[in-house]
Amino acid sequence: MRKDLVRLIASQFGKGVFKSRAMLPIIGILLLLLAYATYSGIQYHDQNHFREDHQHMARSSWENNPDKHPHRMAHFGTFAFRLKHPLSVFDFGIESYTGNAVFLEAHKQNTVNFSEAGFSTGMLRFGELSLAMILQLILPLVIFFIGYSSIVSDRENGTLKILLTQGASWKEILFGRSMGLFIIAVLLITPFFLATMIFLLTEDHTVLGDWARFALIGTSYLLYASILCLVTIAISASSRSAKNALIKLLGLWLLMAVLLPKVSQAAGAYFNPTPTKLEFRAAIEEEVKKYGDSHNPNDPYYNTLRDSVLQVHQVSSVSELPFNYSGFVMSQGEKISAEIYNRHHDLLMARYRLQNLPAKWLALINPYLAIRNLSMALCGTGFESYVDFQLQAEDYRYMLAQKMNDLQIKYISPSRLSGSEGKRDVLNRETWKSIPDFKHEFMSLSTALKNELISVISVLLWLLLSLWGVQYLSHNAKAI
Amino acid sequence: MLEARNLSKKYGNTDALQDLNLKVGQGEVYCLLGQNGAGKTTTINIFLGLISPSGGTALIDGVEAGRKGRTNHLIAYIPEVVQLYGNMSGLENLDFFSRLSGHKHSQQQLGSLLLKAGLKEEEHRKKLSFYSKGMRQKVGIAIALSKEAKVIFMDEPTSGLDPKATNEFTVICKELANENKTIFMATHDIFNAVNVGDKIGIMKEGRLIQSSDTTTINAHELQELYLKTI
Repeated sequence: MRKDLVRLIASQFGKGVFKSRAMLPIIGILLLLLAYATYSGIQYHDQNHFREDHQHMARSSWENNPDKHPHRMAHFGTFAFRLKHPLSVFDFGIESYTGNAVFLEAHKQNTVNFSEAGFSTGMLRFGELSLAMILQLILPLVIFFIGYSSIVSDRENGTLKILLTQGASWKEILFGRSMGLFIIAVLLITPFFLATMIFLLTEDHTVLGDWARFALIGTSYLLYASILCLVTIAISASSRSAKNALIKLLGLWLLMAVLLPKVSQAAGAYFNPTPTKLEFRAAIEEEVKKYGDSHNPNDPYYNTLRDSVLQVHQVSSVSELPFNYSGFVMSQGEKISAEIYNRHHDLLMARYRLQNLPAKWLALINPYLAIRNLSMALCGTGFESYVDFQLQAEDYRYMLAQKMNDLQIKYISPSRLSGSEGKRDVLNRETWKSIPDFKHEFMSLSTALKNELISVISVLLWLLLSLWGVQYLSHNAKAI
Repeated sequence: MLEARNLSKKYGNTDALQDLNLKVGQGEVYCLLGQNGAGKTTTINIFLGLISPSGGTALIDGVEAGRKGRTNHLIAYIPEVVQLYGNMSGLENLDFFSRLSGHKHSQQQLGSLLLKAGLKEEEHRKKLSFYSKGMRQKVGIAIALSKEAKVIFMDEPTSGLDPKATNEFTVICKELANENKTIFMATHDIFNAVNVGDKIGIMKEGRLIQSSDTTTINAHELQELYLKTI
């Protein structure tokens, strides 16, 4: 294959496309979509300020508590707000449908609430448009539209015969056209990444790791575009007419972008039903009940614990213990209830992962699903990053509750047998400031990539497969 | 320069070409007549290396034509309708196709080639989508000239051309033949075939059933022979 000839064919194709009048409306529409999606993304990301403000408010509310009993502070609780990753400006992922704030208190694991969808009308599902969504869904249509006739029209009008008799080989023509189409795709993609780059440059919270993610996202979309270009050229070369090629490509788009994702979601939900929120909570409470009430130091379940503690300390009543027994029991109760919750939560998450499994594995045969999953993961807006936030919030809640229990064990009089004792058994308000605030940490890049290994493999496999397809056609395609 | 030895082509059970034998010398113009489906285009496609024969051999300057393009440097092709790329000018099309064949010409040389092919200078920079069929044919000829092809295959080149354009085309073909180019043309135009050709073959159902020298036959006689043969 002569590289100069491939470049010549690519450049002729690219120039021809940009000289075509049909490109003007395409570029115009894409620019409008780009502007709208960028504006939406920035508006969307601006909620971070709102969330940060509320996190600060929750913190100052916590710190401004007066002298109090630590258990009352455990129930006073605080909020954990989920921050948006800077790259969520590019890909909203599932964020609109997941909650972003959770109330953290002792003994109780509250759900993450206040999703965008919860505050919006049903139109959100149709109106939401991110930069990633345009590249995932609209870009393939644009590439298909530009490239569907690239080979087959030349065959239909006899120009292909001239190309071949002039000395260009099939391989040079196919790879040249693929390269030309890819260059056009790159030119169309570039403004989307420039918009994201400008946002990252102006965003205060951007760190070095975000640029690594950005580079990976860019690379992934370039690979996705190259797959689309190669597939378009292969279908154009193997079709009998331009109309036939267009129908095949539109069918492929419907299969990739509509049918397979919907089928995978429906199949996942059908075969792995999840309990309702009410059923989930009821199952946990049912199990917790079996372990008694840790607020009641005389609860029969905790009698064994009490007896063993008394024996270890060789005293006859809990008031003789060198620490506050009530706090100790609540600490044990918190441990038990957290273990129960975590087990149920893990089971629920495992069920959700099973629901996602068809979409995850179908990514192997559908590059759209692969890039969608990979893009969300890299932008920190996928399912796993949401679960990661939930786990961080629960870890913090558990730490907070146990810290309050520890304070009670250590500083509240052992003679006090029940939880809060009004203004008599209180700790200094300065204590609350010593408790670290909740800080949402984004999932690491390596973990995000590990979670989406199938998508990474899929993109690479599809690239190899489409390259092989074009290579195969260069030996078997027909000029007439 | 061109030789077909027992050339045949089958599509399934259909014989598109059967035992074709012919020879065309350097600088000769060979016109192949016949109804649609007679095997004229199949013959050209085999010589162009676009399809493989089911039997026999197609030789260009002693080299076997085939998919590997070993004879590509010797040949050029002008289809019935030269479409090329409508959003590029004649000059740009010529530049692109000549560079494909490994010939890089200056703008001046490209202009000269177009002029030689009969395209007026003011037309050179117009988009091809504004060209008439005859003007496009001239760009096709310029492409053939630019790669200095020894053999030019033409598939019904005068089909749909007005008489003036046909006449211009005939003149150009004669000039090419005078420059020692071999022309192999499939056509339905009997009068043009007699006018421009040195040899004429008539094909029917994949067989060459008549071969004549134009020095021994006039247009009227050829027409009668053609009608009688098919």
